[in-house]
Amino acid sequence: MERKSSVFLDNYLRSRKIPSTACTGCGLGMNHKLVVQALAELEVEVKDVIWCTSIGCAGRQTFATWQGDNLAGTHGRIYAIAKGLRVALPPEKHLILTVGDGDAFGIGLNHLINAARANADMTVIVNDNLGYQSTGGQYGWTTPQGAKTDSSPYGFYEPNLMGEGMDVLHILKGAGATFLARHVSMDGKAAVESIKKAILNRGFSLVHMPYPCTTNFASRHLGSRDPGQIYRWVRDHAAPIGQEKEDTIWSTGIWHDESNVRPEFSDLIRENVEKIRRLGHR
Amino acid sequence: MKRLLETGNYAITEGAIIAGCRFFCGYPITPATELAEAMSYRLPQMGGTFLQAEDECGAMHMCIGAALGGLKAMTATSGPGYILYSDPFGWAIGCETPVVVMNSGRVGPVSGITGAPGQGEFYMTRYPAQGGNYESICLAPNSAQEAMYMTVEAFYLAERFRMPVTVLADQLITDGFEDISVPETEDEIREMGFRTWPRKMNEGPSFYPPTDEIDVPPVVLGHNTGALCSDWTPTEEGYDIEEVEAHHKHAYRLIYKVRNHRDIFNHLYEKKYMDDDPDLVVVSYGSPSRVVNTAVERARQKGIKVGALRLINLWPFPDEHFEKPGKYLCVELNWDGQLVREVRRATTSDSTVNFMGICGDLPTINELIETFEKVIKNEPLSRDGWRKEMW
Repeated sequence: MERKSSVFLDNYLRSRKIPSTACTGCGLGMNHKLVVQALAELEVEVKDVIWCTSIGCAGRQTFATWQGDNLAGTHGRIYAIAKGLRVALPPEKHLILTVGDGDAFGIGLNHLINAARANADMTVIVNDNLGYQSTGGQYGWTTPQGAKTDSSPYGFYEPNLMGEGMDVLHILKGAGATFLARHVSMDGKAAVESIKKAILNRGFSLVHMPYPCTTNFASRHLGSRDPGQIYRWVRDHAAPIGQEKEDTIWSTGIWHDESNVRPEFSDLIRENVEKIRRLGHR
Repeated sequence: MKRLLETGNYAITEGAIIAGCRFFCGYPITPATELAEAMSYRLPQMGGTFLQAEDECGAMHMCIGAALGGLKAMTATSGPGYILYSDPFGWAIGCETPVVVMNSGRVGPVSGITGAPGQGEFYMTRYPAQGGNYESICLAPNSAQEAMYMTVEAFYLAERFRMPVTVLADQLITDGFEDISVPETEDEIREMGFRTWPRKMNEGPSFYPPTDEIDVPPVVLGHNTGALCSDWTPTEEGYDIEEVEAHHKHAYRLIYKVRNHRDIFNHLYEKKYMDDDPDLVVVSYGSPSRVVNTAVERARQKGIKVGALRLINLWPFPDEHFEKPGKYLCVELNWDGQLVREVRRATTSDSTVNFMGICGDLPTINELIETFEKVIKNEPLSRDGWRKEMW
């Protein structure tokens, strides 16, 4: 099949990894494109981005896609690596993290919270495919309540991190994150605008972006791998903040915006180290 | 040069600074806490960064991040924290990232006794990460001054071999106060024999060559070299790949870049009274070696023909010291016997290898001399109930 090159492929992405090896009908590419579009609209140059990923579907499929420098951490640790990297790099470098829901909200939550606490400048895009899908389809910490997965064959009944008062975004806000948003992958322009704001915040930003998984989640929960069905299901269960319906799972839009208010982690370090050097030894 | 009465932890801090370390991240744990404290005081004075992490796993990952950003980085812990390094250790081995790790041994397993010395992590320093398919470098000093030297050396080796290197100390070395000399000028650094190596940057596109060569510069991010680094099997450029042949090439590099260049560090050992083919060779490392050295000296005065072999470079294990058939005695700060197993593997089949284990404290000189005599006379080593482990 002849593939037409795109502006994104020419200017930002590596043809070796795009298209990715994601399953047919996977929604990750939509999220990925929204992030690249946001960077393009901000006219961020390839050399000024370190593209960081995790493991799982979101990590594996977006690793080494950026034309510049790429980094992938093990399960849940990329936030700690990114924090160290943040200290070493000049402020103009952007750390863009495309990670999965299990990585960010499960195994990496401790490191994530501490990156938010420090307000370390990084943009975390949590590509939520509704559970652990690269391992075959187990429930995760933002899997919708009641969902049937390979590890919840009778429906997921534990409290998750998405209910009212227990939303993972509340936790991150409490921890000190300075920009938080949630969008599903069909949000298009609205999602791009939020991602742009996330990138422009010199501090810790996170955008939670649920997207459809046809192979595991849809086949188990909806009984079909038809991409159309799961796309409609995700879209119909999302609504902008303030316009939620009874069956809304994901309230979308900007949750919290204190961009550029609190001092940034590495700026704070530089400032203090400079002060200590200036004042000399005790 | 300044002379001070200071702890091993302090000496290690000064060593790290001499080596160019400008990033330290750790988590408080006895008996390595004072190293973190000293770093928090000294590093900002040097324009460096000290961070305290949420846990040891986060600490070493932050060191990896700083190293990927071009800084020389270090972390320090004790046994219960060293196991939490497993995850980042594997990453740093696979991605060939230079990081220095100090482990101050105490009495285990688990939390055990926090304020007493132990040597229970001999094998863990060989296999600090899961999966195998790599070689490790570990250096074990036996004094505060030598801890400073070995820290500088660890940074030197970490850069040249581009990998994490462990300095294995113990509670007596890191907490104990000793007379140390700290160089203050570049000339003094050279005169005192410290070796340093600058951070270089790999320009690509071959970030992971399938060869055993050393001095391949590590990946430094942020310079648009197009570097790819991940936890997956890399192609030569760093793309993730699921192919056994590619992984075999990668593993060959991780194993043989070290094994084929041991000449750079295999001079790191100490021999005493070993020139006249002694009846017994006493093998040890770390703080017990200091009692062993004294005991061997006293035994010689009594006419007992013993020699002392102290290992500083523990891994890769220096098999070459054990080619001669004979009697060996391993003195270790553990009751299960770890070094002794490796010595048994390395010696010839007609050698005998004995073990004397004590933990949380040092053996006494008299106990050691008594044991030397028994081993030489082929007398069975008595076992004093649970009090001591001898075989």
